[in-house]
Amino acid sequence: MKTRRQALATIAALTSCAKPNKNRLNVFNWSAYVAPETIPNFEKEFGCKVRYSIYESNEEMLARVFSGNSGWDVVFPTHYIVPPMREQNLLAELDKSKLPNLPNLDPAFQHPISDPDLNHSVPYMWNATGILYNKKVNPAPTRWADLWLPHWKGHLTMLDDPAEVFAAALRKLGYSLNSRDEKELRAAQREAVNQKPLLRAYLNTEVRDQAVAGDVLGAQIWSTTAQQAIEANKDLAFVYPAEGFPLNLDCAVILRESPRQDLAHQFVNYLLRPEVSARIADSMRTATANGAARPLLAPETRNNPTLYPPPEVMARAEWFTTVTPEAQRLRDRLWTEIKSA
Amino acid sequence: MKQSRFLGLFAALVYAFLHVPLLLLCAFSFNSSKFTVWEGFSLEWYRQMFADTQLAEAAWNSLVIALASTVLSTIIGTLCAYGLWKRGSKWLSGSLYLSLVTPEIVTGISMLAFFQWVFRYWQVQLGMHTVILAHVAFSIAYVLLVVMARLRTAEPALEEAALDLGANEWQAFKLVTLPMLKPGIAAAALLAFTVSFDDYVITAMVAGVDSETLPMVLYAMARRGANPVVSAISTVIFLGFGALILISDRMQKA
Amino acid sequence: MNRLRTIFLAPSAAFTVILFLIPLSIIVAYSFLTRGVYGGVVGPWTLENYQRLFDPLYGIILWRSLVMSTLATILCLVIAFPLALFIARASDRAKGIYLYLVILPFWTSFLVRTYAWMFLLRDTGFINTILTSLHIIREPLPLLYNETAVVVGLVYGYLPFAVLPLFSNLDRLDKNLLESAADLGATPWQTLYKVIIPLCAPGLRAAGVLVFIPCLGAYLTPDLLGGGKSIMIGNLIQNQFTTARDWPFGSAISLALMALVMVLLVSLLRQDGEEAL
Repeated sequence: MKTRRQALATIAALTSCAKPNKNRLNVFNWSAYVAPETIPNFEKEFGCKVRYSIYESNEEMLARVFSGNSGWDVVFPTHYIVPPMREQNLLAELDKSKLPNLPNLDPAFQHPISDPDLNHSVPYMWNATGILYNKKVNPAPTRWADLWLPHWKGHLTMLDDPAEVFAAALRKLGYSLNSRDEKELRAAQREAVNQKPLLRAYLNTEVRDQAVAGDVLGAQIWSTTAQQAIEANKDLAFVYPAEGFPLNLDCAVILRESPRQDLAHQFVNYLLRPEVSARIADSMRTATANGAARPLLAPETRNNPTLYPPPEVMARAEWFTTVTPEAQRLRDRLWTEIKSA
Repeated sequence: MKQSRFLGLFAALVYAFLHVPLLLLCAFSFNSSKFTVWEGFSLEWYRQMFADTQLAEAAWNSLVIALASTVLSTIIGTLCAYGLWKRGSKWLSGSLYLSLVTPEIVTGISMLAFFQWVFRYWQVQLGMHTVILAHVAFSIAYVLLVVMARLRTAEPALEEAALDLGANEWQAFKLVTLPMLKPGIAAAALLAFTVSFDDYVITAMVAGVDSETLPMVLYAMARRGANPVVSAISTVIFLGFGALILISDRMQKA
Repeated sequence: MNRLRTIFLAPSAAFTVILFLIPLSIIVAYSFLTRGVYGGVVGPWTLENYQRLFDPLYGIILWRSLVMSTLATILCLVIAFPLALFIARASDRAKGIYLYLVILPFWTSFLVRTYAWMFLLRDTGFINTILTSLHIIREPLPLLYNETAVVVGLVYGYLPFAVLPLFSNLDRLDKNLLESAADLGATPWQTLYKVIIPLCAPGLRAAGVLVFIPCLGAYLTPDLLGGGKSIMIGNLIQNQFTTARDWPFGSAISLALMALVMVLLVSLLRQDGEEAL
């Protein structure tokens, strides 16, 4: 009898160390998206603990938070995920009086299409989608259409993200990457299916290590991830496709479920400080949405054509928008068709 | 009966198929190069493994969850097996066997849907407790299976004799049947521990902030590509479980 | 007796009802509802999710899952049967060691076993490195991220499930029967085909089902070894709950998968009776 009571007491003691910590902020962010000292400095200054975990895709993050009781406080969806998250009641309304650093944002990101008044989301870093390739590939790719050439066979990856794969195929065909037209989407689906025999896999940021190792010679990938790969292996290069390419804006949001709204606001406001944002962009080679941070960047970062493409390249860029539910459903179906082809 | 030479050769090949991949993985965890070319002996990846606090926390979580769910599911499953042995219950044994053959992804999704529904009325969070509850729920059937197999060899007349001699039901269970069940219970506990420690699909669905487990971290690392640290973790798990089974085997024989 | 039995059964009954039957009922309810505009589950009640199952597209995925699971199951049986025969014929002492060696890899994490194959099959992995350094090949072979890799991963993952029931069946075979077959002039092969395999039919069926069911619902193996290129039912379900945010349809597929598993089990039980479990 006694031993059983002891066993139960032990279990109770063991599980109780998992009690939610009142003074600990739980942050869930994309991999390689903060500088090594970003989190420790915040902990020191605000006298709290931060649980920092990483994910590799919006879906991975959504799957973890959409129960509405996940325990996370701050997450970083890409802008077009913000409206669905808001509609599902996952997001807290931001209290702008607690975000005095908000004006530091670059004017270009003060009114993103997904949340024009910044009621629920604060732009953090942005990136664009292009092609990462190994310089030994000849000829070097310049267009999305080049990703359909047979010489890639087995060494090419596309993003494991329906919006991105459709964007590449739609642009290749000359359609808008936000197309809702059934005929255009079906044509794009056929393109993707035709390309599939060449593909090694559908991978997101995981492709970084494989490109550095030389397993992958070409990849549809986000500019920040590409830059990180290029830093690690000088044989790699990045190009913005001639047909046009999508822009992504990763935003900080505070979850409605969070019991630490004040601390979460402090954290978001801290990330908006020019010197914090510049340090992150410098060490991780990302493109910050923080205008005040731009002058503080190291010249190699600021003038990097991959991270901050020149205006003539940016002229080809297009924002992803949240598509209508009907179009979304069609895209889901076509994506399943691509995946099962 | 004489073993044919063909059969022996075949068995050797199958054992190679089972063990060589894991042994190679272990060997290369001691390689100083990140790549699959042997460059020299190094403990660098083990150093990195021990320096990784997220990994340590996940390993600790996994251990706590596996221990808690093993204790609970072994007790509950053993009691259940005994109760069903006394008199069957079609719906209960049927449901438990059904839970055993339900594809993991379906179990995981249904539990996620369930917890989400519960949270509408009751403010609790996903965390260690939800993971432990989920693990107990799917481990009971494994325990039942193993303990039941042992009970099938038991002799009901022994308990009846004890009752005739004036023992009450509880005493008959505790003094006659339970001691006989010990090896079965030990085997069941070992099985419950491994299924809990190993589970990814269901855990990932019901885990919250504080309950990231080792398989969840391993999955994220494996998707990112080759990483000798994963090989180092694998080696530790492989050796740890190898030792655990040997020890439990010894204890059962002793 | 009844009171003690009730107390003993209460906790497992509670767990089964609350954490298995109720969640399953929620999935059943969801499968008859409609997807909300941005995901979520809303009214009205509908049969549409089940009608969608008959779309040829999902038929293809189902078919692929069935083919790959069948292939993995057959391979498992072909590998496991001679091995089980070998173990059953060993001395009692050796039996324990041989079984331990079968089970040992199985006790390590499933993820570790899958990762071991990623390690072997990658372009810069073990097999390609060896072949290139021996100048057998110049370019690395594309071994990872295809259906063969998935089937190999499934076989590797579930082989012990096939060995154990076959072993217990073979171990119980009457040795005298085999010897008398030999005495009557049967060659070893004839004994195998005419005596051993028919007597092992229950073991083969049990082993087949034990491997086939987890293969059919596999999620991790196609994801990690298939590179997201060839999805199986498990991934289709997962996609509905994440990317597509279509919980009702995901629920309907889940229930269809369970129905398939049930049909298999019932046909097994018809053949072998309760003992099969």
